[in-house]
Amino acid sequence: MKKIFAAIAAATLLTACSSGTKAGSGSGGDNKTLTIASVDQGSIEKVVEAFKAANPGVTVNLSTSGADQYQQQIRTQLASGTAPDVMTVWPGNGNPGATYVIAKPGYLLDLSGQPWASKLPDAFKKVAQYEGKTYNAVFGLNGIGAVYNDQALTKSGLKAPGTWTDLLDFCRAAAGKGTPAFALGIQDNWVTQIALYALVATDVYSADKDFDTKMAAGQATFAGSPWTTAMDKYQQMNTAGCFQKNPLGTSYEASQTLAATGKTLGIIQGNWIIGLLKKKNPAGTFTMKALPATDDPARFIMPAAAGAGYGVNAKTKNKDLAITFITYVMSPAGMKIFNEAQGSLPTLPDAGTAVDPGLADLTTFVKDNRTVPFMDQLWPNAKVQQTMLSGLQEVFSGQAKPADVLKDMDTDYKAGS
Amino acid sequence: MTSDRKKRLRGRTAPPWWFTVPALSLFAFVVLVPSARGVYYAFTDWDGLDPDFAVIGLRNFTELLGDDDARQAIWHTVLIAVAVTVLQNGVGLLLALGVNSMIKTRNFLRVLLFAPAMIAQIVTAYLWRNLLGPDGAVNSLLDGIGLGSWRQDWLGDPKLALWMIVLVVVWQYAGYSMVIFVAGLQSIPKEIYEAAAIDGSGPVRRFFSIVRPLLAPAITINLMLSIIGGIKLFDQVYALTGGGPGHATDTISTLIYKDAFTLGEFGYSIALAVVLTVIVAVASAAQYTGLARNERAAS
Repeated sequence: MKKIFAAIAAATLLTACSSGTKAGSGSGGDNKTLTIASVDQGSIEKVVEAFKAANPGVTVNLSTSGADQYQQQIRTQLASGTAPDVMTVWPGNGNPGATYVIAKPGYLLDLSGQPWASKLPDAFKKVAQYEGKTYNAVFGLNGIGAVYNDQALTKSGLKAPGTWTDLLDFCRAAAGKGTPAFALGIQDNWVTQIALYALVATDVYSADKDFDTKMAAGQATFAGSPWTTAMDKYQQMNTAGCFQKNPLGTSYEASQTLAATGKTLGIIQGNWIIGLLKKKNPAGTFTMKALPATDDPARFIMPAAAGAGYGVNAKTKNKDLAITFITYVMSPAGMKIFNEAQGSLPTLPDAGTAVDPGLADLTTFVKDNRTVPFMDQLWPNAKVQQTMLSGLQEVFSGQAKPADVLKDMDTDYKAGS
Repeated sequence: MTSDRKKRLRGRTAPPWWFTVPALSLFAFVVLVPSARGVYYAFTDWDGLDPDFAVIGLRNFTELLGDDDARQAIWHTVLIAVAVTVLQNGVGLLLALGVNSMIKTRNFLRVLLFAPAMIAQIVTAYLWRNLLGPDGAVNSLLDGIGLGSWRQDWLGDPKLALWMIVLVVVWQYAGYSMVIFVAGLQSIPKEIYEAAAIDGSGPVRRFFSIVRPLLAPAITINLMLSIIGGIKLFDQVYALTGGGPGHATDTISTLIYKDAFTLGEFGYSIALAVVLTVIVAVASAAQYTGLARNERAAS
């Protein structure tokens, strides 16, 4: 009996991990049926519809899921040979579904020969390529900032702050009126990084644009850099009442409801939040502004980077159809549908996308080259980010000190890829 | 029965060992071989993707010894397993004694109390995640009955979150333990109670002298199931807190999942799974031996 229990337990725990490592194709190979796995819920559906209309007779099997779940499932599918023909791939490195991570063992098809690949601006090429070859069709640009609920802001009689000092005053005044400045839903741990990135962009990169290069060369550390200032400001914001009560018990979903319905005056998030807020409050208007991390607006920098794009399974049996789809995504028509549905900015100049008026500030920052990529995109492994995410939850719950989190991030960074 | 007679009986009735070959082959094919292959990866640095990986001996296991997160997760796992086992069976036994009495609604109550065990774990976990949210039903209820000062961030407070997980598991599975206890209680002949009552024993004495010893097989099964379930707990933890805040509610199972699928450290994660397997095997074997001895002593 004992042995049987032990064996059953072993089987339950271990069989999932014992599959092979050869990539395979998602569907039959007739170039008529395409399988796609995506995280772009709410926007990819429109692109797929338009793609099918432009390619009669083609069937698309689309599955969408949240980023956390997707990153976990795509690795298993790739390793077990059940991955789809076309899949979401994140730019750069630093997360389990990123270009470098998946291209390195040869799971992605080289797309360097496609006409759009050479047209990508350099900032995007850097994160769409691995060892000089393009693997990721990055179609959209995302930025992070403070997104205000215009109606709630007007009702409060307050004005969006323009400096760091204003920001803290704004938070105190908003909290005093019973409608905290920003919704924060850090029960979902990926959300913890967003406000920090908004602060780090200005605090770290306005003084040192080459910080990433120095980190990679071992000449800089998180704990010995203005990352400490940014961490400190994040906590100052918390103390000043910038966020609603109990952020650790609030989910990302619940935080959207707070900001959309005016229970907070806004939310610090990526531009993708505007579409989600409008779904919850169709009558509302929302405006994104740079989060004022210092008292000198001329130094403001916004985090902005290529969003998740699409890669093709190297072992697909529907290569032609997969490339036709990727070409469509990167065409002016496909890019327009995708970016308008997501509220993101196009990566290619001739896309003719109508940008949400609430993103005027972000557009200006991109045009003026006052942006930095999301910090994790050039980190050497996924662990640095995970340490930061759980570390920030620990800081918010009083289990850890910001300095210790940065030290742990340094340790993981130095462990390399 | 003499030992000679036992031997003769066994010789006559026991089927030849090779009758088990088909079943054992199937078991080996679907369970043992994949598990052994899985264990092999615990000695490699496989990242779950790259077919080129190296055999690194015991490095994953030695790293595990020095990993604070792993040690913390093992501690949380033990805490949850013990708390769930004690509470689930305590509550289950009380419910069983209640619905085994002659009250009119006992059949309805049995169904009602067993119902949560029929719902998927992930569904109840998400339900409770909403109920226990800062503006969820639990806090609203406290406000409503004038206990607003008791409001808590039930899942966001690292001191409370682990116990909320235990509470949800007990809520869901106390009815399951109850059903097994009820089956055990119904197998106790009424005459024994009646004889004891005539002899003048009270309910407490009857419980300890009659119910507890005769319920021993049901207790063994319930304790085994709840301790194994508690050690392997994953769904509720992942859905309620994701192991957070920070690592405050991480168990071995959630850590295995995160290390494998988020960090791509499959080799390390499988090493953790091997440790979990050993813990489950040792705990259930020790418990089974102890309880079986108890059962024999009681009968």
